Amino acid sequence: MVGKKKKKGSKLVVNIVLGVICFIWLLPTLGLLISSFRPATDILQSGWWKVLPHQEWKAGDTIHLSKDVDLRKPIDVEGKTYSDDQLKNGVMADGSRLIWENRRARDISVQEQGWVTSTKLTTENYLNVITGKEYTIKNADGSETVEKGTGLSQAFWNTLTIAVPATVIPVLIASFAAYAFAWLRFPGRKTLFVLIIAMLVIPIQVALIPVLKDYTSLGLNGSYLGIWLAHTAFGLPLVTYFMYNFISQLPKDLFESAFIDGASHFNIFSKLILPLSVPALASIGIFQFLWVWNDYLVSLIFIGNQPNVQVMSMKIADLVGSRGNDWHLLTSAAFISMLMPLAIFFLLQKYFVRGLMGGSVKG
Amino acid sequence: MKKTIGSKWSLLMVLCLSFTMTLSACGSGSKAGPTTEEPKTPTTTNTTPTDDAGSPLDKALKGEYKGKKVTMFGPFVDADQKKFEASIKDFEEKTGIDIQYEGSKEFEATINIRVDGGSAPDIADFPQPGLLASIAKTGKVVDLTKVLDQDKLKKNYNQSWLDMSTMDGKDGKIMAGIWNRSNVKSLVWYPKKQFEDAGYKVPQTWDEMMALTEQIAKDGDPAWTIGIESGAATGWPATDWVENIMLRTTTPENYDKWVKGDLPFTSPEVKHAVEVMSKIWMNKDYVYGGNKSIVTTAFGDAPKPMFENPPKAWFNLQGNFITSFFPATAKVDQDYDWFYLPPIDSQYGKPVLVAGDIYAMFNDRPEVRAVMDFFTTGESIKSWVQSGGVIAPMNDASLDWYTSESDKRMAKLVQDATTLRFDGSDLMPGKVGAGTFWKGMTDYVSGTATLDKALEYIQSGWKN
Repeated sequence: MVGKKKKKGSKLVVNIVLGVICFIWLLPTLGLLISSFRPATDILQSGWWKVLPHQEWKAGDTIHLSKDVDLRKPIDVEGKTYSDDQLKNGVMADGSRLIWENRRARDISVQEQGWVTSTKLTTENYLNVITGKEYTIKNADGSETVEKGTGLSQAFWNTLTIAVPATVIPVLIASFAAYAFAWLRFPGRKTLFVLIIAMLVIPIQVALIPVLKDYTSLGLNGSYLGIWLAHTAFGLPLVTYFMYNFISQLPKDLFESAFIDGASHFNIFSKLILPLSVPALASIGIFQFLWVWNDYLVSLIFIGNQPNVQVMSMKIADLVGSRGNDWHLLTSAAFISMLMPLAIFFLLQKYFVRGLMGGSVKG
Repeated sequence: MKKTIGSKWSLLMVLCLSFTMTLSACGSGSKAGPTTEEPKTPTTTNTTPTDDAGSPLDKALKGEYKGKKVTMFGPFVDADQKKFEASIKDFEEKTGIDIQYEGSKEFEATINIRVDGGSAPDIADFPQPGLLASIAKTGKVVDLTKVLDQDKLKKNYNQSWLDMSTMDGKDGKIMAGIWNRSNVKSLVWYPKKQFEDAGYKVPQTWDEMMALTEQIAKDGDPAWTIGIESGAATGWPATDWVENIMLRTTTPENYDKWVKGDLPFTSPEVKHAVEVMSKIWMNKDYVYGGNKSIVTTAFGDAPKPMFENPPKAWFNLQGNFITSFFPATAKVDQDYDWFYLPPIDSQYGKPVLVAGDIYAMFNDRPEVRAVMDFFTTGESIKSWVQSGGVIAPMNDASLDWYTSESDKRMAKLVQDATTLRFDGSDLMPGKVGAGTFWKGMTDYVSGTATLDKALEYIQSGWKN
């Protein structure tokens, strides 16, 4: 009885700790979400938390001083003297705050504290991102034409076209390879496996220029096939290693009995291994998909910025403008690009945790 | 049922096999890559013009290159890309040449990889000539002296522009590019309407400007609003200040020596320039938010206090592109305007600091020549000039094209300048101009380094 109570108590503590961690973890995302609904001018001026009710100094009376007051000497305000710096930062006097309202006109504002919520919200950021920004271009005669830019939709489909094959191909190849490494006996098996694992430590940056040279001579630059292959090659070592860990842990008896029944390797792979390794396939699939979806570097080098192939991450970078003048649009763009990974994750999440364990726990 | 699944799998198997084969083909290729001789880029094959019947541009206008494609790669995106596309539309329709522009925010990083990887665009737009100079040394840039009519260029550009496009090639000097857009960096922006209402007058000399700064401080506002924060490039607006003051306190020859690295940062000339700058920057009554806020204010946010009512600050020194950061409601010539950063020492005349975009050619094909030829004409940028934000460096660009008084005055300023000099930090090697110069100035302004230490640190960029 006592033990049970203790267990319940500790569970509560664990839950609270987890809750706090989750909250801290989610806080930046929450801030981003709120920011994405705020008008651009507000984002520049104040933090997202100002949307929540908070105490703020509100303007009350105004004290007018003489125009000739020298700001570099102590300033006399209703019998008391203050320095200019004090009045710049605000100074307390009888429960209210004195601060310059208009320093040029020598106006001082007497502020009282009060509750404020700034609830100015807008969907403009999302509209700009989804349907494209509007550009006003002046003509020779002074008239203006409004041109509509492209939104994210084309880039969204481009990214999907890249991400799905770039996930399926490496996962498939790696499963075949993992099965061979785990259950087939052939000469050089260990050496080959170590070679593949060794590839994990090679940074992809060193391969960019050599691969680009080959792509140029093969004419693969800027084509979907080129980037599928690039992502496949860069992803294979990790995916193979992950799938090997899972498949090599499957019980040996299973294969022996299947062999005795006369099954070929291909049959064993397709009828036994694949159905059994769905959790592993799903979790590594999510990993690879996220990597490809969020990728910027590989796309930058191999596919470029032409609108018909441009991926989301690059389109979003372009949205802020040549000199970063529209950076507030990043807030809403980030959320839109997040939707797809989130959807994939929630669809496959029940496999995700199982798959993660599958690679690590023996037996 | 079982059979269909089986056939499906074998189909997948075949698919995968074919992929692995392509993959392995690629793999062996990349291994062979470094050992084989450098592939001959189309750059080196020089197709000489077949006849002198007309310039490439004339031929293109006759429709000889109809249906040909010319790829172009540059750093501008978004609104600027729209303006660019509008300015080449007419040319594309007339000639049938399709100019495929690709803009990337990562231009500086990508262009080297593309050129090294053999997939250079036909034409690239370099905002920093220093970057082009380093690529020109590898010999991968087409020498334009053989491609474009030199007499025509001499007629259409000031000599200083042509000098600035001559760079070191693999063997000897080459003309690495042509200037297509320029912007002016000696401008002080101010809120015109309120400025006039307050009874201030545009200063004609540096002393007048300092007197006005003091006057504004007495009236209750800091005169200047300065921000040098710009992400990884933090510090660059400070380099514009130093360059502007250098041109006003020493000879153009000294400026050129300084840009080349012959006049060190630790020399009295450079130190004096930074000291002149410090008289404004380090006075907390003269700078909005005090000198501490300079480093943390984004250069694009700096002009914002000028547009509050009443303005909280009055002056912002910045190139003409800064107008894209101004509030959309503010009107040029009415709400805001600029004045020329006044001379300090009358013996150095009226120097103007400019920057610009230089177009370089990587692949020599007749249609690319035609497009390059087109870019040397004012016509190629007419509609961009009309929509504002750029100054055309060509002589055949008419002043009437500028739709705002402000832009027109700017173009005139460039034409009348006694000394025209390019932004020094863009010409210096990247390690200095986009490295220690930025960092050293930031350290000095934020107070983490003394002036001498900062200048020594900037100078150290030349060593390695």
